[in-house]
Order: sequence, then structure tokens, then C-alpha cells
Amino acid sequence: MAGKLAQLRSVDPSQYIVYVGFVLILIGFSIVLRDDGFLTTRNLLNIVQQTTPVTIMAVGMVFVLTAGEIDLSIGPIVAVSALLASLVLRESFWPLGAAVGLLAGAAIGAVNGVLVAYVRLPSFLVTLATMGFLSGVARWITDLQSVPITNDTFNAIFGAGSLFGVPSLLIWTVAIVLVGHFFYHETRYGAHVHAIGDSAHSARAVGIKVDRVRFSVMVLSGVAAGLAGLLYAGRLHGARYTLGETDLLTVIAAVIVGGTRLNGGVGTIFGALIGSLLMGLLNNGLILMGLSVSEQLMVRGLIILAAIALTLREARR
Amino acid sequence: MTRFVGRLVLAAAALAASTALATAGTTTGPNGETAVPAASVTLTPEQEAKIREGHYTAGLAWHTPSDYTAAVDRGAKDEFERLGIEVVAESDAGFDPAKQKNDVETMMAKKPTIILSLPVDPDTAAEVYRPALEAGTKVAFVDNAPKGFVQGTDYVTIVSDDLFQMGEKAADAMAAAIGGKGKVGYLFHDANFYVTNQRDGAFKETIETRYPDIEIVAEMGLADPAKAEDVINAFMLKNPDLDAVYVTWAEPAEFVLAALRNNGDDHTRIVTLDLSEPLALDMVKDGNVAAIVADEAYAIGQTLARAAAASLVGEKLEPFYAVDAIAVTKDNIEDGWFKSLHREPPASLTGG
Amino acid sequence: MSAAAAVPASAPPVLGLHNIRKEFGGVVAIEDFSLDVRAGEVVALVGDNGAGKSTLIKIICGVYPPTAGRILIDGGDVRFSDPSESQARGIQVVYQDLALAERQPVYMNLFLGREATTGPFRRLDRKRMIRESEELVHGLDVRIPSARSTIRDLSGGQRQGVAIARATHWASKLVLMDEPTAALGVAETQKVEKIIRGLRERNLAVLVISHSLDQVFRISDRICVLRRGVQVGVRNTRETTNNEIVSMITGLQ
Repeated sequence: MAGKLAQLRSVDPSQYIVYVGFVLILIGFSIVLRDDGFLTTRNLLNIVQQTTPVTIMAVGMVFVLTAGEIDLSIGPIVAVSALLASLVLRESFWPLGAAVGLLAGAAIGAVNGVLVAYVRLPSFLVTLATMGFLSGVARWITDLQSVPITNDTFNAIFGAGSLFGVPSLLIWTVAIVLVGHFFYHETRYGAHVHAIGDSAHSARAVGIKVDRVRFSVMVLSGVAAGLAGLLYAGRLHGARYTLGETDLLTVIAAVIVGGTRLNGGVGTIFGALIGSLLMGLLNNGLILMGLSVSEQLMVRGLIILAAIALTLREARR
Repeated sequence: MTRFVGRLVLAAAALAASTALATAGTTTGPNGETAVPAASVTLTPEQEAKIREGHYTAGLAWHTPSDYTAAVDRGAKDEFERLGIEVVAESDAGFDPAKQKNDVETMMAKKPTIILSLPVDPDTAAEVYRPALEAGTKVAFVDNAPKGFVQGTDYVTIVSDDLFQMGEKAADAMAAAIGGKGKVGYLFHDANFYVTNQRDGAFKETIETRYPDIEIVAEMGLADPAKAEDVINAFMLKNPDLDAVYVTWAEPAEFVLAALRNNGDDHTRIVTLDLSEPLALDMVKDGNVAAIVADEAYAIGQTLARAAAASLVGEKLEPFYAVDAIAVTKDNIEDGWFKSLHREPPASLTGG
Repeated sequence: MSAAAAVPASAPPVLGLHNIRKEFGGVVAIEDFSLDVRAGEVVALVGDNGAGKSTLIKIICGVYPPTAGRILIDGGDVRFSDPSESQARGIQVVYQDLALAERQPVYMNLFLGREATTGPFRRLDRKRMIRESEELVHGLDVRIPSARSTIRDLSGGQRQGVAIARATHWASKLVLMDEPTAALGVAETQKVEKIIRGLRERNLAVLVISHSLDQVFRISDRICVLRRGVQVGVRNTRETTNNEIVSMITGLQ
């Protein structure tokens, strides 16, 4: 009995409050927008598909934040990966284009990782610098020109296609969230990510290869952003240097609202998914409510603030 | 300023698709379309009545927030209200084509009859508007159309500003300010952007053909807006006795004004394009600024809304409409400001 | 001392330290330190603050490399470049700061770095880790609400209990303890001392740092005194007195 009580008490409220908020907002919109096409399958599916790249970057960011680091460079990684993939797709077949996009993300993540884990610079500053540098690279690669993608297979796999009637973006969301959840919660690697973000010193003392894990989470985040770049490119049938530019704050907001702590050691993948869907839900619902752009921005800001206040206030004891 | 710099970025993308650049004497669309005056888009009372009966709805999918977007937005909303069309959704893409695609998808849940939009990236915009096309929604654009779209079947029309007229009016305003003769400087935008190229070219051409007593004695290109200040300081140092300077848009003109003030020069007049409060303030205080040429952004929205509505009642439309430009001077500041942005000018310009 | 007696006298000591020297940027922290610790033996390391006791423990487990000297485990030379290597040889440490991950549950801390897995995908075997943790903690008579409790929610004594439980569970040869009872009350201290005696009965070698001479006399077989980085002597606990040790620590005769 006492054990059960302790078990209940040890569940951190910040881990489930996002679900409550999500359901409340969903119900709210369903009532207010009942005549506006909000509750149609098409519209709800739109929300999931529109948030897929953010969800995938959020999964990467949960690993990074849990390990006690941060990755500010994901936005321009999206653009660089999408542009490189679409350039390759002009000349070559789609698996190579996709591989180049992912490898670009991995390579950039590896540079971040080496600087953070082995040169031992703070990830905030390292990725702030790579973010600036990569924004330049994204503009330079094609001299601000957009690159169209005419490969139908690529556009179907990473964009509007479907498998047995299930939209491919929905499949990507489910697959990445499940794989991310498995590694984060169910493996020794995930346990080590938690441990180094909680106390790098303690993790080192018990023999965890702290530097290696730090390096790996930065690579992971780079690959996630690279995949997000492919998904944007597949959706738009082309790439442009501004892709991903505004995603960083959305990703961080989704992850934090979802119950992952900015200072490491604690997080959840499903929470990040719900946080990301919440962001998409807000965009969608506020537009459908017919609010002006200024009103949308204000309402969204207030709701995110409220969500973060609840999450973090509950967490502090 | 966000407005102009923002559109420069858009123009960069438009360039890929644009084949026709400045041609003498006229404004052309991004694909070489001939400009037709926006005022020619009209509706008969019968057509208007028919539109009202339709209880149509509209969505507005803008590219980025600015003075300019706000004026276009107001123009469109006012016209829709007049025609009994309800604006059911509005969005802003923050220059992100992926966000713009999301916005259009989201709007489609309300099945609007019309969508008005300024495409962030014409190259990838076909995918952005595809859901609207498939649903049979009428789409009309500001400035540019998605690559591969055909006017008349895929979209209603494009409405833009009359770039040639803007440059022309700048030349006329300058001539008026210096009494039709003198030595002037020409600061143009040294980049391949059809918006600035057409405006700058029109200014130069008008001065050369219409004003034989005005001589362009110094010219310099501004390649990077961020470095404009240094270029301008050097230019003003080398050319201390100009009667007037043309500056390609308002932000570099603010640097020109600062340089003139530093030199204690109250003789040289400035003429530039796009409204800016600091420049207008100098103008109303009888400083260096003689005139600011602006486009009728409000009329862009109005015309676009009207054209989209007209298409609903089977009206055939031209592919490219251009709105008029206005030279705003001290004498018509309230009127000019209102005509361009459909808003009273800032209190600083009228109060004192 | 019956267990100690069972070890053949010919067996090499579990831990052999020969002429260990450690400098930090020219400052000498340990100077020519030598000591053997045998299986089934508890050796106490005493000395004033800053004498170099904690540094010595970190050298043994591989946090710091020695500047000079040899470390032998079971008579063979070793050179650990990080703690995971010493752990692989059956050496465990209870650090002064406990080295716990505060936001993780007790069971994850007990298995930190050696998590149990199951199945073809090597999933974490949480059930097993929780079960074994409860048994372990129970066996050591450490009272915590549940193996699922987060370390942050435990008292200082409970945390110390978890750190000791972890070290004793994984050690197969040698346990190094840095002030294991510093944060504890009287009853909890007695428990820890009981645990240490239990280790000796399991035939492990124990090197323990303590500030309490009373405790040192209760639990140790031998006492090694360190003063300003220099080893000033080793005494059999039964053959020395409190006064002798104090004068060795202070250097005042």
C-alpha cells in the first residue's frame, strides 16, 4: 500500500499535464469550430501531417535536452539537407538524394558533437555559431534559388504519398516516435542519456562513456533535422533556403510543454509528440476561428505561456 | 522597411521564373505580362448583386506581416465586405513556404470560395495552392504566380504595383523640387531584382528624356543593403554640391539624410520610394527630403478582391494589373499616406 | 577476523600500491605512498583535511592517473584510464558526493552503467532491476519508500544507503569508501558499519576513509595515516591506541 502510494507520488505531474491541456484545447476547438470543418478527418490528418517535421525534430531535441545539451542549429540543418537532397535528385535516383540529405544532417551533427563532447565547448554557443554559419551555407548553396523536385517517388515517400491508404507523413510520425520512444525509455543508451544530463560527474563515476553519449545525441539531432528537411522538400516538391528557419522555437516549445526539462535528466517522447501536435492544433484552430494574424500570435503566445507555466510550476517542489 | 526588404527576398526567388526585365516605358509582370491599370477592374450593379446572393467566403494567405501587407489586407477586406463576401480565415507565413502550405491546407477546411495570397516562393508554390485548385477555389495573387500555373484556368490574375510609374513619378517630383534643372546623383540598386530594376530604370529614363536641363552627374550602385551606409558616406563625400539625389528605396535614403545632416548640407534634396516615417518627418519640417513615391498598396488588395469576385460571375480578367503610384510631398502628405496605406499618417507628421 | 585467516598467506594482496606519487601542476598531493590491502581486510585511511585521502581513492579507481608509482591488483600491474576499467576488475567506490543521478529512480541508480536488459532487442529489464533493487536495499536494511522513488526525494541517509548498496552489490574484490557515514545519524551509522563488517565476511578488501577515530577503531583491521601527502605509518588496529594515531595525524609527539 505504502509502496503504491509512493509510486503514485513519484509520477511527475509535468509528464502528464500536457495530455490534459491537449485534450482540453481539442475539446474547446471542437465546440467553437463545430461548424467550421475542424473535426473532419481531413483537417485532423492535416494537423498530424503538418507537424511531422517538427515532431521528428522534437524527438531529437528530447534526447539532446535530456543529455543536458541544446541544439540551436536544427533550423538551417533542415534547409541545407533539403537543398542538397534536391540538388542530388536532379541528377540521380531518389535513395541517393535521401541518403545525402540524412548524411548532411549527420555530418553537421557530428561537427557539433565533436565540439561539444571532445573540445568541450558549451553546446549553446557551439550550435549558436553553427546555426549562423549554416544559414549562410543554405543561402550560398544555390545562391538563394529554390530547387524543384520532380521525382515522384521521393515526393510520395517524403510528401503526399500513402501506403495502404495511410498517408506517408503519418507513417513517418508514428515510426519515428515509436523508435525514439524505444531508444529513449527502453534501452541502456536511453538510460545513459538520462544519467549524463542528470549528473555527468556521477555518470562518469559509474563508468558511462559520457563524451561518447554527448557526441551521439548531437548526431541524432542532426539526423532528425536532416529527415525533417527531406519531409519538407517532399511536401513542397522542392527546397528553399528558408525551410526550417522558424522551427527552432516551435520545437523547443513543443518539447518543453511536453514535459522535458531544459536542464537535463528528465523527458518524454510521447509528451513531445503531444506538444508538437498541440502547436499544430493551435495554428490550425486559430486560423479556422477567423482571427486576424495579430490576434492569432497573441493567443498562441498566451496559451504556450500558460502551458509552460503549468508544466514547470508543477515540476518544481 | 520590413516591407521592402521582405519583398526583395521574394523578388530573388521570382527572378528564377522572371524572363522579362525592365522594358522602356511600361511595367511588366513577372512573366512579361503587360500591365493593365487596376482601375479597369469594375463590376456592374447586377454583377455585384449576384455576388452578394452567392454568400461567398474568402481566405487570405499572406507572406509576412508589414505595413504593406496590412494595407493590402485592409483593401481586400473592405472590398469583400462591400461585396458581401465573408473573410473566414487569415494567415501569415512568416516567409516560410512550408508554413504557407500548412496555412492554405488549414483554410481549406472551411472551403472558402476565394483565396487571396502572395506566394512566398513561386518555385515551390504550385504544391502550396494545389489543394485549393483541386477543391475548385478561385485563387488570385499579389506580385507573382506559382511556377507552372496558367492564368485563367489555375488562377484568376496577378495584381501588383506599377513599378515604372513609381520611377517616373520620382523623376517628376525631383524635377519639381529643383525647378527643372540642376546636377543630380543617382543611387540605384545594383542587383538583379525586377522590382528595383524597373523602378530605378524608369527614373533614369524619365530624367534623361523628359528633363534636358537635369544632368545625372554621379551614380553608384548599392549591392548590399547592409553596407549601404559606408557606400553612401563615400558617395556624398565625393559629390558635395548636388542639387538632388535619387535613392532606390527608403532605408538607404535614411543614410543619405544622415550624411547630409552631418555635413550641414541643407541644399541637396532627396527623392526616394516607399513610405518611411523618419523621412516623412524631415519632409514636413522642410528638411532635405522633397518627395517619397509610394504605391497604392490598399488598392492592390481592393483590386485583387474585386477581380476574384468578378471571376465568380464569369468575368474574363487580364493576367496582370498594376495600381497607380503617388508622389507624396509636404503638401499632400495626409492624402498620399491614406491613399497608399489607407491609414492616417503617424501623429508626428500631422500634429506639428 | 576468521575470514581473513582463511586466506592463504601466500596469496598476493588484492590491492598493492607501490611508491605512488601525484602532482597537480607541480603541486605534490601524494608523495611516495605504499600500502597493501588483502582480501577480507578492512583498512582505514585517516588524516587531516587536505592530507590527500580522496585523491588517493581517485587514483586507485582510475579517475586520476598517478604521476609515478605502481598499482597492482592481485599482484598484477594495472593502469586504469577511467572508472569503468576499475569496475570491470571488481572495484567499487562510494564517493564522498555519492555520485548519484538525482532525477532518476533508485533502481536506475543501483544499476547505472550496468543496466539489465532482456530479449532480442535488449530492452531494459525494469521489472528485474526493481525486484533486485528492493531485495538489495532490504538486505542492507536501508529504508527507502520504494525502488521507484526518485533520489531527490530521499533523505541524506537514504541516499548514502543507495550509494553503499550500489558499491557493495557490484564489488567482487575491493570497495573504496570516502566518508561513508558523514551524513548519517547514529542508527544509520551503525548500519553502515554492519555493512562494512559484512563485506569483510564476504572476503572483500575494503579501504575506508573516515574522520571518526572511534569508528575506525570499531571497524578496521589496520589503520594507515596520511599527512600532507606522505604516508606516515600503518598500524594494526588491535596493537595501537587512539593517542598514537592522533599524534601521527597531527605530527605532534
